[in-house]
Amino acid sequence: MTFITTELSLFFEGYLFLIIVYAVLIMSSYLLLAHLSTRELREYLKKNSFVDYDVLLTSEFAPSLSLIAPAYNEGFTIQENVKSLLSLNYNNYQVIVVNDGSKDNSMEILIKTYDLVLTELDIHPKIETKKIKGIYTSRNAAFKKLIVVDKENGGKADALNVGLNIAQNQYVVCIDVDCILDKDALLKLAKPFLESYGKRIIATGGVVRIANQCVIKNGRLVEVNIPDLMLPRIQVLEYLRAFLLGRMAWSRLDGLLLISGAFGAFDKEIALLAGGYSTKTVGEDMELVVRMRRYMLENKIPYGVSYIPDPLCWTEAPEDFKIFKKQRSRWMRGTIETLGLHKKMFLNPKYKLLGMVSVPYWTLFEFLAPGIEFIGLVLTIIFVILGLLNWHFFILLVLFVYFFAVMFSVIALYSEERTYHKYPKQTDFFKLLIAAFIEPIYFHPLTVYAALVGYKEKIMGTKGWGEMTRKGFTKK
Amino acid sequence: MTKLWELYKSETWIEPFLMLSIGVFILTSSILYLLIIRSRSSKIKRYRLLAEYNTVIENLMFSVVFNDIPFSEVKKDENLNKLFKNGFFREVLIDSIMNLHKNYEGIYAQKLEQFYKESGLIKDSFKKLKNLKWEVKCKGITELSEINCTDAFDKIVKASKGRNKILKITAVNAAIKLGGTKSIMYLTRYSYPIDDWTQINIINAFKKHDIGDTTGVELLLESQNTTVIALGLKLIKELKLTQKIPYLAKLIANTPNTLIKYEAQNVLQILTV
Repeated sequence: MTFITTELSLFFEGYLFLIIVYAVLIMSSYLLLAHLSTRELREYLKKNSFVDYDVLLTSEFAPSLSLIAPAYNEGFTIQENVKSLLSLNYNNYQVIVVNDGSKDNSMEILIKTYDLVLTELDIHPKIETKKIKGIYTSRNAAFKKLIVVDKENGGKADALNVGLNIAQNQYVVCIDVDCILDKDALLKLAKPFLESYGKRIIATGGVVRIANQCVIKNGRLVEVNIPDLMLPRIQVLEYLRAFLLGRMAWSRLDGLLLISGAFGAFDKEIALLAGGYSTKTVGEDMELVVRMRRYMLENKIPYGVSYIPDPLCWTEAPEDFKIFKKQRSRWMRGTIETLGLHKKMFLNPKYKLLGMVSVPYWTLFEFLAPGIEFIGLVLTIIFVILGLLNWHFFILLVLFVYFFAVMFSVIALYSEERTYHKYPKQTDFFKLLIAAFIEPIYFHPLTVYAALVGYKEKIMGTKGWGEMTRKGFTKK
Repeated sequence: MTKLWELYKSETWIEPFLMLSIGVFILTSSILYLLIIRSRSSKIKRYRLLAEYNTVIENLMFSVVFNDIPFSEVKKDENLNKLFKNGFFREVLIDSIMNLHKNYEGIYAQKLEQFYKESGLIKDSFKKLKNLKWEVKCKGITELSEINCTDAFDKIVKASKGRNKILKITAVNAAIKLGGTKSIMYLTRYSYPIDDWTQINIINAFKKHDIGDTTGVELLLESQNTTVIALGLKLIKELKLTQKIPYLAKLIANTPNTLIKYEAQNVLQILTV
């Protein structure tokens, strides 16, 4: 009995040490990233105030872009969404809508609205995809930028690969068809491709924000609001933290692993050389960025990945837990799959900062964090029950984590306030502040649970996205 | 080290550490909250002042532009005199004059320029030009070029020779407006690469300010810097400078760089079609 108690005590001491080290490590890394992000953001805004994006509108040297928008059962919103894509502030671009075997009337709506007819395009596919049923262009000159591809269902990555095969321009912009883009989004996304000399910019990404309860008019965001519902409201805060305090720092460190699938631009040639989107993972957005970067590093080609902190893309966040759980478990599966496919990079100096910092960071703080957190919580409760840990200490530990989470959210709010100030209404600010206090006890456990479901799905071999239903935006 | 280990083993540090951390987190959150509130209040105050100043400035500008009221008359108004001593008012006034100047031509534009000089606002712009912060310098350059202040030309060209890209683009833009082609001639000896974004901005400045005299653009083709040659080619192509065809032919015959040769051939073909 004494032996067991000694063993348990030793285990407890080791556990306590590890949990505190892990907490301090994760918290300090967050703070360090936030610090770097804020500095970078301030510098960007200062520079951006002197940039005249209109020069790209009139220049024949502006990069040519192909927008690829995969659509699956988007019949409810597709007409307006495509219209919005066709009216962006940019001259040198085409829009490729890939209907990924929708079961609804998406195709009929597109054909009727845009006066589409079957056409023959001279394409030389570089990536194998599911069968294309037909390629359509419009008879109406007003929609000459539009190409619609009707194909057999093969998933988002497959639809994007079809777009990559068909795209006629040097750069591809992959977007979710239901996203609301800022009218200058393409101008801002294209600029970094012109800015580097001696290294090739292979991808640029923009910030995605939550549009639930915002007012949309003619496919444009006209009024920003904070959702009343707690689940989407906290996601506003979560996106602010991720994009304002995280990705900007990774971009500064040149260690960005993820460009959101909702909105990102890629050098088409490099994307094709790297093999296009992987259909083996549900995290195809992250996987492509990692693979493209890996391709450049392995071939010793100087390159860069750029990131635009301006809120250029607005998306709808899940409002009910069922859909939220599906989304987050899929994100976790995508992370596991990407890290698994590129495990060779883990702590491999050949891959520089990416291998030595980014991949280990994602492994430790994105992939393993929910598991560690769950096990930690269970063990702590067991230790409290066994009397190895007193309640007083347990409560202190909980408060330590809770107040750090609140503080980090307030940092994000402060950063937003000093930079974009997109939520000027007092009520909106207080809604977000309340969300900051509620998140650690309501939202965070849900994300951990959804991530654990993601682990389980990965172990069980679940594939695919599952049905994702959307409510649609508030329209004026 | 042993003492530290002993302290760690004794576990007496954990609770104070946690309590101190919690305190720091709460304090930081509270300070940030107060800073947010302060920032919001100052923004509201600023918007209110801005609206107030804009009304005053609108009347003032109307009098200056359409009623020919000189600055000596404006000075007599005690209220305006007081406002002129306010830095924020002067900034708002400068921005208003810049916006108006963009929209007016001829006599009205000249009246604005005159007012800018007489009121001493031009001194503010020159002060900005001397500032060590590049963003302030940029602001000064933009203002001086908008108001067609040719006295600032040399200083602006000097600023354009630096390596800060934004400052360079702003200064080159301004210099092209004030001095035309001669303002970019130093580029023929420029050794740093000029990226495509900067090149597009320079070309746009030529188009925007309708620079008719393009004498000297051909000298860019003689540079040792391939990005400067590329800029020269783009300028010739975009401005359709057919008179530069002999220089293009010379470049094609002499350049060892295949990319430049190909691009020059392309431009030549476009211009001769």
